[in-house]
Amino acid sequence: MAPEAPFDFVFAGRVYRAQPGDTIASALARNGVRVISRSFKYHRPRGLLCAAGHCPNCLVQVGDEPNVRACMRPVEPEMIVEPQNAWPSLGFDLMAAVGWLERFLPVGFYYKAFIRPRRLWPWFERFLRRAAGLGRVNLATPPGDYVKQYLHADVVVIGGGRSGLRSAIAAATAGADVVLFDENPTLGGRLNYSGDETAAAERAALLARVAALPNLRCYTQATVLGWFEDHWLPVSQGNRLWKVRAKAVIVATGAYEQPLLFANNDLPGIMLAGAVRRLLHQHRVKPGERAVVVTNHDEGWAVAAELLAAGVTVAALADERHPTPAILSADLPTVPIFWGHTVVRAEGRASLRRVWLAPLTVDGRPGAPLQTIPCDLLVIAAGSTPANGLLYQAGARIAYHDETGQFVVAELPPGVFAVGRVTGWEEDQAAEVGRQAAAFALDQHTAPDLPSHGTRSLPAPCYRPTPGKAFVCLCEDVTAKDIAMAVAEGFDSLELVKRYATVTMGPCQGKMCAVASIHLTAAATGRSPAATGVTTARPPLTPVPLGVLAGQPMEPLRRTPVDEWHRRHGAHMMVAGLWQRPEHYGDPLAEVKAVREAVGLIDVSTLGKLRLTGPGVPAFLDRLYTTRLGDLPVGRVRYGLMGNDEGVILDDGVTARLDEQEWYITTTTGNAEAIYEWMQWWAQAGWGEGVHITDVTDDFAAFNLAGPRARAVLQALTTADVGNTAFPYLHVRQLELAGVPCRVLRIGFTGELSYEIHCPAGFGPYLWETILAAGAEFGMRPFGVEAQRVLRLEKAHLIIGQDTDAMSDPLSAGMAWAVKFDKPDFLGRRSLLRVRAQGLRQRLVGFEVLTPGVTPEEGLQIVQTDGNGRPTIIGWITSSRYSPTLGKAIGLCWLPAELAARPGTPFTIHREAGPVQARVHHGPFYDPTGARLRS
Amino acid sequence: MLLLPCPNCGPRNVAEFRYGGEMHPRPPAPEAVDDEAWTDFIYMRANKAGRHREWWYHHRGCGLWFLAERDTTTNTILRTYLPAQPHGS
Repeated sequence: MAPEAPFDFVFAGRVYRAQPGDTIASALARNGVRVISRSFKYHRPRGLLCAAGHCPNCLVQVGDEPNVRACMRPVEPEMIVEPQNAWPSLGFDLMAAVGWLERFLPVGFYYKAFIRPRRLWPWFERFLRRAAGLGRVNLATPPGDYVKQYLHADVVVIGGGRSGLRSAIAAATAGADVVLFDENPTLGGRLNYSGDETAAAERAALLARVAALPNLRCYTQATVLGWFEDHWLPVSQGNRLWKVRAKAVIVATGAYEQPLLFANNDLPGIMLAGAVRRLLHQHRVKPGERAVVVTNHDEGWAVAAELLAAGVTVAALADERHPTPAILSADLPTVPIFWGHTVVRAEGRASLRRVWLAPLTVDGRPGAPLQTIPCDLLVIAAGSTPANGLLYQAGARIAYHDETGQFVVAELPPGVFAVGRVTGWEEDQAAEVGRQAAAFALDQHTAPDLPSHGTRSLPAPCYRPTPGKAFVCLCEDVTAKDIAMAVAEGFDSLELVKRYATVTMGPCQGKMCAVASIHLTAAATGRSPAATGVTTARPPLTPVPLGVLAGQPMEPLRRTPVDEWHRRHGAHMMVAGLWQRPEHYGDPLAEVKAVREAVGLIDVSTLGKLRLTGPGVPAFLDRLYTTRLGDLPVGRVRYGLMGNDEGVILDDGVTARLDEQEWYITTTTGNAEAIYEWMQWWAQAGWGEGVHITDVTDDFAAFNLAGPRARAVLQALTTADVGNTAFPYLHVRQLELAGVPCRVLRIGFTGELSYEIHCPAGFGPYLWETILAAGAEFGMRPFGVEAQRVLRLEKAHLIIGQDTDAMSDPLSAGMAWAVKFDKPDFLGRRSLLRVRAQGLRQRLVGFEVLTPGVTPEEGLQIVQTDGNGRPTIIGWITSSRYSPTLGKAIGLCWLPAELAARPGTPFTIHREAGPVQARVHHGPFYDPTGARLRS
Repeated sequence: MLLLPCPNCGPRNVAEFRYGGEMHPRPPAPEAVDDEAWTDFIYMRANKAGRHREWWYHHRGCGLWFLAERDTTTNTILRTYLPAQPHGS
């Protein structure tokens, strides 16, 4: 809620009084505070310059929030505001001594200084870190509450000044759904502070029309950060990022007033005309007592008159123009007028005390004699540059207009419109453009007309070389001399000058310096401004808090139907893709022992599950899998290996044929979505005749019941005969277990007799607990992923993605038995035939560790000493575990084919704590004949 | 963000789709092509500056795989359509 009475706030440790409606900056000006910040490199005092949110001078810290633009943020009662970049205090900044070191900090100093001696870098770094940077980040700040929200509109208008409002009203009146964004707290732009009653009346009339249009929504303090394809606009407003999609966009962003280049042009007390007018008319604050105005167009005269009316002494008005009858009509009888003069130097310590004026010679350079005029305020009304960054991003063509020295819109892409000063002209046809944008958005016609080519140019700034420290870039303290030096050092194109001198790269993103750097680079290289070009305008146009871009954490998390039970029973959960899975329940080795000696139960609901139906499925599966699946009889299960045309292993799983025309296929947990898309591609792209694929991953819960007593547990849950004859290995049965309809697959990843039980997901928790209860008398334990990894490794089963990578083919991975070359064309056949013909280079084999007491870490390299006695890498290990069943460490590794060929071949694993000896092992480590699976 | 017209669903944010790579039809009889042609099929892409035909998958939508013709120099979508021949053309 906006305060209605005066209130207190704190700046730099002192209490100040603010009036309702104040921004931080206007409240400071009201209290006579001139120095708001210290500059980035030389720590020079800086004060209010633009009061329009464009320059870096008033960046402050508000509580934990750094880099707040004091001129844009309404001040609040009790607000704690601190200056940035000042140490130990704003008034006495030790770092200002850096100014005296200037000749040691030349342009591009970070490429030249502090490099040698190397050992001193930590000291330099401490110093630089304290000296540089903007604001401080409090790492203890609790995470902010940030949101993102979509917004759709026919027409989006960017900028709520006079032109923006008029075009928005016209578009809305024409029937379009219109949204207008303005980064200021109040709509109206310059109408807020023009100082005459006509402007105030026009603003009131426009706002009344806005209020009467329900299809025109206005958002203030909302900054459009950039333009993206198809009129997609990110808009930052407080803690919210609007993601806006428009059919047409009207850019009405106006212009940035530009400073002039002269010695000490950064002193507090030097302000742009717009800032002075905002203080005078919007906030009723006197910006100074004794002013000098420098101008090159009529606005300077108007501001001088307004200052006089506010009781400010105007000590001089310097007009860079030479008098002509047309402009001589202006009349300020009490003010000394200096025709054909400009300002060449400002003086003062923490704040402005006097300025030096010089007459301009015929070639436009400052000459003699100089005039010194004491003052505490210098008002610059010397031209603006269009705020056309969004137009550049949208692909507009913008040309340098030699006659006016202004950048003007030459061509706009479809759906993008421009009104007001952003066009480079003063006049506009805002209402007409608003109607055109509405017509475009409502599909009434598609060819946008160009904005009218005005005759009255937006006054352009003029940059003249002057001796002394004239700052081009206030963000990074780059002077006019620095730009000349950068060009002299060979950085002779604008983009190079930018990167070397860092001009336009600070928080203002070129709003205050881009045009000056173009003119100075042009002058230093002897090229025209048009030939010098412009630097690329990239988003974000205005600094944005990272939290706004990050938004809420929205990473989805997948939990199995039994998730809650796992957590209640002490499961140590791990991340598997988006899934949460129990890694173990406290003692993974005891879980291994339970499966080997009694029975265990693992939640495998995360497996990908696909339902395939239709007469085309057998041929389809035979094309996609290297294994033969087309002839799978009803009631049978078979392992399937899938590759691509490169011959690389993609995935594996099992296929169960439930019916004449229904197949149930599992994929690995991590690949579920990718394999579904892959299958869809082959089906939709031409091989899908008579094939229908449905992803049923979330529809089923799945548990693996494994161990020598698994059958006894299963039998306790059903009346059906599940004996080895009635339900043999690699068969599927539809069974009712404890009243729940299940599909049960007799397969064995763990190497024991095991049943993979799939039931409708909703019955998952009930069935899980019922199976555990039934298994209690048989010594059953739930087991997790860690135990399963040990169990499968004892069987030397590979895990795709862990033991294989994007280069692994099934022949090298020891899966030749799963590649059926006698099938006709299948994915990978052509490439694998070539691999077979060429012979294998590397092979995936098992190993057992010979060095006692060591389980080497996965990923370690296998080394061999070459002829010169140097170790070379010949392989790596992909899986490694201590096997409690075998009492030793085992694993899988990639080795050169000739070494891998003979079981027992010794080799050395490189490990930091000392080499580990191991030897090649072929086949499963446990139950090599697979008798237990079939028992 | 680019708008991509799905042949089923109409224009949607491109974030709803997954890029499926350049269209490059699989030889109907892989065994009939020599090693060089097969290597080209697997590894080489035209990566054209200009009109480019490519696969897109509406994975946060209807699940359709379709082809788009896109001008890679301007990133404008010229048309989207379903393949007339197996594996696209």
